[in-house]
Amino acid sequence: MSRTAIGNWLAAPIVAAIATICLAPLAILFLFSFFSVDFVNIVKEPTFKNYWTIASSSTYRGLIAQAFLSALVVVCITGVIGHPVAYFIAKRVKSAKSAFLVLLLVPLYTGDLVRIFAWRVLLGTEGALNTLLLWVGVIDVPIEALLFSPLATHVVLVYNFLPFMVLGLWLSYESLDDHLLEAAGDLGASGMSAFRRVTFPLTAPGLIAGGLMVFVMAVGEYLTPQLVGGASGITIISAINDLFGTAFDWPLGSAIAWTMLAILGFFFAASAVVLGRTNWARAVVGGE
Amino acid sequence: MQSIPNKQPLNGGRRPSATLLRANQLKKSYGSFEAVTGVDFDLEENSYVTLLGPSGCGKTTILRMVAGFETVTSGELELSGQSLVNVLPNERPINTVFQNYALFPHMSVAENVAFGLAYGQFSKDEIAQKTHAALELVQMSAMADRRPRQLSGGQQQRIAFARAVVNEPKILLLDEPLSALDRRLRKDMQIELKDLQQRLGMAFLHVTHDQEEAFALSDKIIVMNKGRIEQQGTPAQIYRQPANAYVADFIGGANRIAGRMSEVANGVGVIETGLGKYRAKCAKGLSAGAPAVLCLRPEQLCPTQADGLELQVTHTIFQGADWIVEARARDDTTVTYLAPKSRLPLIGETVAVGFDAETAWIAANPHEGAA
Repeated sequence: MSRTAIGNWLAAPIVAAIATICLAPLAILFLFSFFSVDFVNIVKEPTFKNYWTIASSSTYRGLIAQAFLSALVVVCITGVIGHPVAYFIAKRVKSAKSAFLVLLLVPLYTGDLVRIFAWRVLLGTEGALNTLLLWVGVIDVPIEALLFSPLATHVVLVYNFLPFMVLGLWLSYESLDDHLLEAAGDLGASGMSAFRRVTFPLTAPGLIAGGLMVFVMAVGEYLTPQLVGGASGITIISAINDLFGTAFDWPLGSAIAWTMLAILGFFFAASAVVLGRTNWARAVVGGE
Repeated sequence: MQSIPNKQPLNGGRRPSATLLRANQLKKSYGSFEAVTGVDFDLEENSYVTLLGPSGCGKTTILRMVAGFETVTSGELELSGQSLVNVLPNERPINTVFQNYALFPHMSVAENVAFGLAYGQFSKDEIAQKTHAALELVQMSAMADRRPRQLSGGQQQRIAFARAVVNEPKILLLDEPLSALDRRLRKDMQIELKDLQQRLGMAFLHVTHDQEEAFALSDKIIVMNKGRIEQQGTPAQIYRQPANAYVADFIGGANRIAGRMSEVANGVGVIETGLGKYRAKCAKGLSAGAPAVLCLRPEQLCPTQADGLELQVTHTIFQGADWIVEARARDDTTVTYLAPKSRLPLIGETVAVGFDAETAWIAANPHEGAA
């Protein structure tokens, strides 16, 4: 047997595992998305009805758009916060770098629920923030909109996903040559100008990598909007959950899931194009 | 050797004159460590000045303080009489050629060169024209659309140079700019750098650990050691009249015979060594009784019949035109001198060499106890 053949055989179990664990469920969902429901029976006759339902329903369209827009907002906020944090850890921390990275990741070791409930304690009407504001005298009655609002959802999502953005950016900052920033200053660039013309483009691969991670997780987030979003807690993900559960409409649920997947795929492809085609990214990532 | 392009110097062959940059008791410390211990030096307009010394001697720290990348701990740094101490790097009319070139990898060669022009009051046409002229100056116009990583080290060096001088700085700082190039290319670039400096009429402050480079380029050399300036002067002064044993040693090649001054008058002194008493010109600040060294360049020594240093030959080394003869004196001092093939001694042979007292030099030896 040739070396290549042995390599192929050794890779076979992994390919098989990916195929059964990852691709098979997706394929089944894809199949289901073309079926329909007749009371409690699934009719296995191919139809585009489900996709038409999604396209013609302003509720579904709105929920899908909301999921992506909201994820985009979270990506932007984590990006803005992530840049200085990543810069600080990569360039300013000398000896305790690993300690900072562990600190960054520690919250991820606690469960989702614990972190979300911690925020309920902070943001609730009798929570820490309202109590503080009352005590200082800024407000007379507790602000109810702090919790159970889109604001609360986004605050918690940013908190949850910030480490992923920082990790992506941190890697880019680590490989950024300090002399390039000195050169920018030497040639007349102020701090902001040097960031815009040198730092930002050269750390963009980290921003895109971190951004994609955050984006995917934010789009698929289910618990946070349910627990701190209040009336705004209905998301496209909770809709899918309802369709698979109480409503027993697997085909429509599958169709929505696949629509979401297709849109995500589009975002990934767009990022790949940005990374591969634009000059600055090519110069940084390599290849011509 | 490469021929020097026959171009008219832009500055009309002006000689260095008025002081442009002045360092006064300039000091930099990191905690208790003093990287630069209060140095004084001047950089004259249109002059090529080299900071020369081993790594860790503080020369790069001085350069970085002039550029503005390092703060000044104490002392004064003035450009044309104006203090630079609290001026940000981007507001100093000073540009740097970095050791690793620090070209922006995400920009083309032309974009790199035009980077600093965005901060001047130039129209698009002017920027394009200046960029082109700068690339022309370093003979790299053909590479304008390439990326830095597609260029060789020597080409990147030229771009780094063009990117700095296109802004017409008052001072150009060069941080070991030739150290990454191979020996041959380095020689060519030395000639070119000197030529460019003369044509641009710009003051260059160049940091290097290579004394050959310093000699080839400089109007003035500042020899540094452990954060101090050991000597500053023209290459000829540094070479022929080293202030002390450290300079004589670092510049290399000088035979040093240690002793003590017995008399000093009018710049001429007598040194008593284990090999005898010698009269020669001596460095400033020496007084009778001070430890000193008699410095003799190999080329100042020649075999003689009478009244010379008696030496026993230990090695002979072929070096092109002449042979280097390494020999040992009575007190075990190693002495080298040059001999033509026709007068090459045998190893183990005893020879006598003499020198002209007019060209010999006595330098201070302040580190005698430590060395």
